[in-house]
Amino acid sequence: MRNTVRRGYVLYALVVAFVCGLVFLMYSYAVNGEVWVTKRVNNHLYTNRQLTTAGSVFDRNGKALVESDDDGRSFINDVTLRKATLHTVGDIQGYIATGVQTIYRPYLIGYDFVNGVYKAVKDGTGNDITLTIDSDICKAAYNALGYNNGTVGVYNYKTGEVICMVSKPTYDPENKPDDINTDTSGKYDGIYLNRLLSGVFTPGSVFKTVVAISAIENIDNISERTFKCTGKYKTEDGTVICNATHGKLSFEKAYNKSCNSVFAQLANELGKKKLTATAEKLGFNSSLSACGVNLSKSLFNVKGADKNELGWAGIGQHTVLANPCHLMMLTGAIANGGNAVTPKIVRNSTSEKLSELLGNISPLAQISIDTETASQMKKIMRSTVKNYYGDSRFPGLEMCGKTGTAEVDGKRPHAWFMGFSQKENFPYAIVVMVENGGSASSVAIPVANKVLQAIKSAG
Amino acid sequence: MTKLQEARKKYKSVDVGFVLAVITVFQLCSSLPTIITDGKFQAVTALYFLAYIAVEWVYVFVMTLVFRKHNFEIECIAFFLCGLGMTITASIYPGGLKKQFIAILLGMAVYTFLVWLLKDVKRVMKLRPYIAVLAGVGLAASFVVIYFTVGKKNGAYNWMNIAGFSFQPSEIVKIAFVYVGAATLEKLQSSRSILRYLIFAVGCIGILFLMRDFGTALIFFFTFIVISFIRSGDIRSIAFICVGALLGAALIIYVKPTVASRFAVYRHVWENMDGAGYQQTRTMIYSLSGGLFGVGVGNGKLRGIFASTTDLIWGVICEEMGLITGLLVVLVFAFLAIYSIKISKSSPSTFYSIACVSTAAMLLFQVCLNIFGITDILPLTGVTLPFVSRGGSSMICSWGLIAFIKAADLRSYPKLYKSD
Repeated sequence: MRNTVRRGYVLYALVVAFVCGLVFLMYSYAVNGEVWVTKRVNNHLYTNRQLTTAGSVFDRNGKALVESDDDGRSFINDVTLRKATLHTVGDIQGYIATGVQTIYRPYLIGYDFVNGVYKAVKDGTGNDITLTIDSDICKAAYNALGYNNGTVGVYNYKTGEVICMVSKPTYDPENKPDDINTDTSGKYDGIYLNRLLSGVFTPGSVFKTVVAISAIENIDNISERTFKCTGKYKTEDGTVICNATHGKLSFEKAYNKSCNSVFAQLANELGKKKLTATAEKLGFNSSLSACGVNLSKSLFNVKGADKNELGWAGIGQHTVLANPCHLMMLTGAIANGGNAVTPKIVRNSTSEKLSELLGNISPLAQISIDTETASQMKKIMRSTVKNYYGDSRFPGLEMCGKTGTAEVDGKRPHAWFMGFSQKENFPYAIVVMVENGGSASSVAIPVANKVLQAIKSAG
Repeated sequence: MTKLQEARKKYKSVDVGFVLAVITVFQLCSSLPTIITDGKFQAVTALYFLAYIAVEWVYVFVMTLVFRKHNFEIECIAFFLCGLGMTITASIYPGGLKKQFIAILLGMAVYTFLVWLLKDVKRVMKLRPYIAVLAGVGLAASFVVIYFTVGKKNGAYNWMNIAGFSFQPSEIVKIAFVYVGAATLEKLQSSRSILRYLIFAVGCIGILFLMRDFGTALIFFFTFIVISFIRSGDIRSIAFICVGALLGAALIIYVKPTVASRFAVYRHVWENMDGAGYQQTRTMIYSLSGGLFGVGVGNGKLRGIFASTTDLIWGVICEEMGLITGLLVVLVFAFLAIYSIKISKSSPSTFYSIACVSTAAMLLFQVCLNIFGITDILPLTGVTLPFVSRGGSSMICSWGLIAFIKAADLRSYPKLYKSD
C-alpha cells in the first residue's frame, strides 16, 4: 500500500510535463502571436484574404489615403491620388510587398498579446499611421510622368522624410483590373513593384557621379588635369562612343558635359579594384534598407570585364544596375556634406510598438563620403545644372544634379535625373527615372522640375 | 481519532456553498450572451441554464442533507467545466443544448451509481471478470458493427448509431479499463490473472488501433503504463513495454504508410495552412486573437471551423472568453491530478489508490492530447476535452471516471468509516 502511494507520485511527472507544455505554448504564442494573428486567413481582419479591419493611413497633411469602414478598406476619394499613392500605401491583398499596409500590417491592425484583436473586432479599426508623403505632390509627380512608366522619389536629406514616392505602372485599387493577374500581353508587367524601392535599372551617365567620386579620392590633382575627347575611347578590346567630340576639357567640364570618352578612360585609369571599392563604399553590392524595407541591391561587378567593358561600366552601362532609391540616398548624402540619412516613410503612429521600432533605426553606414569629397562633388553638380542644363529649367531652386540616358537593348533609353537643391531652406534630393523615356534632358528634367516646383509652392 | 476524522482534519472541505455560488455567478454571466442574442430573449436556452444550475444545487443539497457528505471538490470542478461546455454549445449550436444537458444528467447518474458500486471492494472484485469480458467483447463487437454499418467517420471507425443516438463505444470502455486494471492489481495476484489483464489491455488497445482511433489508443496505453508502474514499480519492465510499443508503432507505420501520413503535418502546420494543418492553424490564430480577456461569447470566428464544439472547443474558449479562462480550464485538470495524489494517500485500499491516480493520469493525459494536439505541440489525434467538449459518450465517460477519484476519498462514505 505504501509503495503504491509513493509510486502514485509518478503523476506529478505528468503534471510537470503538462505545465511545461503550457509554458512552451504560451512562449510560442507570445513570440509568434503577431505573425500568426495577422495571417490573411484571420476572418476578424480579412475577407477572402483581403484586409478589411485596420487603422487609417494618412498623408502628412492628414488626408486619409485608406481607412476601414463598413465596406472594408476604402481608399481616398480621388482616382489619381489613389493611383499615385498606391505603391506607398499598398494594396489590401498584399501583392505590393513594400506597401505600408503590408509591411506595417500588424501595427495597423493593432494586435497585442494582452488584448488580441479586441479593438479591431469592437471598433472595426486599429492603429493609425501618418506618412511623410504629401499625396498632392505624389499626384503632381504622377501627372508629370504622363504616359510613361517610371518612378519619382523626393526626400528631405536632412530629416530623411520622403515627401514624394510614385511608381508607374500603377492601378486604381478601388477598381482593380480583372485581368491583372491573368494578362499575358505584358501591359501589367511589374505593376506590383514599387520601382523606387524594388527596381534596379541601368543607370547610364548618372553613374559618372560614382566614377567622379572615385577619381576625386584616388587621383591626385584631378581637378587640374586636362583630358582630350576625340569622340570615342579606344582600347585593344573595343571602342566606347562619346555623345560628341568634346576636344580638350577639364575633369569638371567632362562631368558637366557627360563625356563618355573621359569617364571610360578614368574607369580604366582607376582600375577595377579602386572603382569597385568606391562603388561599394557608396552602397553598391550591399543590402540597404530604407522606408522600412530592404531595397533591391544596386550592382557593380566588373570582375571579368575587359578594358572596353570597364570603360562602358564607367559610364553606367555594361552590367551596372542601380536602385532609384539608392541613388536618391547617394544624392542626399552628397547634398548633406557626406552624411547619408536613411529615408523614412512614417512620420508617426498611434501604435506604440511601431513608434518604438522607428525610433530605433540605426544610422546609415553603408554610404560614406568624406565631407571634402562631397563638397567638391556638390560644386561640379551645381556647375552642371548652372552651365549646361540651365537654371531656367529649375526656376528659383539652385539645383545641383546629373542626368543619365541609359541605353537598353532594343528599347528607348531610360531617362534619369538625380539632384538636389542647394538652398538651405529647401533641403530636398530627387531621383527621377523614366522607363524607356528617351533623352534625359528633355524627359527627366521637366518631370523633376514640375515635382520640385509643386513642393516649393506647397511650402 | 478515526481515520475519517483524520482525513477530514487533513483536507478541510472548502465551503461548498460559497464555491458553488461563485460557479453559479460565473455561469450566469458567461451564459448571458447566449440567452440574449441580438436583443432577443432565448427562453429555451435560459431554461436549460436555469435547470442546469438547479441540478447543481439540488445535488449538493441532497448529498449534504440526506447523505451527510461534505466533500464536493470533484463535483464543483465538473460543474464548472460542464457549464463552460454548455455555454459554448448554446452559443454555437443551440440545438445541441438539450442533448448536452441530458448527457450531463446521465453522466451524473452514472457517477452516483459508480460511487455507490465502488463502496464495497469485495463487490468490485467479484464484478471484475464480467466487466472485463463485457468491455472487451463489447468493444470488439462494436468495431465489427461500425465497420459494416457506419463505416469511417472523420478517419476513424469509432462512431456507433443506436436508436438515433450516436456514441463512441471506446469512451464507455475507458471506465472499464481503469476498473479492471485497478481491481486486477488490488492484491498480489497470480501470474495467470495478470496475464489475463495483459490480454485485456492489449486487446483493447489493438481494437482501438483497428478502429483508427489512435488518440484513445494512446490514452489507454498511457493508462496501462501508469497502472502497471504503480503496481509493480518495475521501471525496467515498463521501459521494455514502451520500447516494444514503439517498435510496434514503427512496424505499423512501415506496413501501413497511410497511418503515418495522418501525422505528417505535425510541426509543419503553417506550411499546410489550408490543408492538413487547417484546424491547428485556425485554433492558434483565433485563440490568440482573443487576447487575455477574449472577444466576447458569440464574437469569435473559430466557431465556424469544423469540430469547434468538440475537438477545438478549448480554442473557442480562449478566443471568446480569453486566454486566462482557457488556462484556468486546463489548470483545473492539473489541480485535479494533484488532488488525486493527495486523496490516494489516505484511501482505504490499493484498489482505490490505483484507480484514483490512474484516472487522474488518464484525464490529464487526454487534456494534453487535446490542447497540445490542436496547437501542434503534439500530433493531432482528435480527442475531446473532458466535460467541456460537446458529446454524450465523452461526457458520461468523464463523469464515470471521476467516480474513481471520489471513491478513494474516505469522506465520500461517511457511514462506512465512522467507526473505524
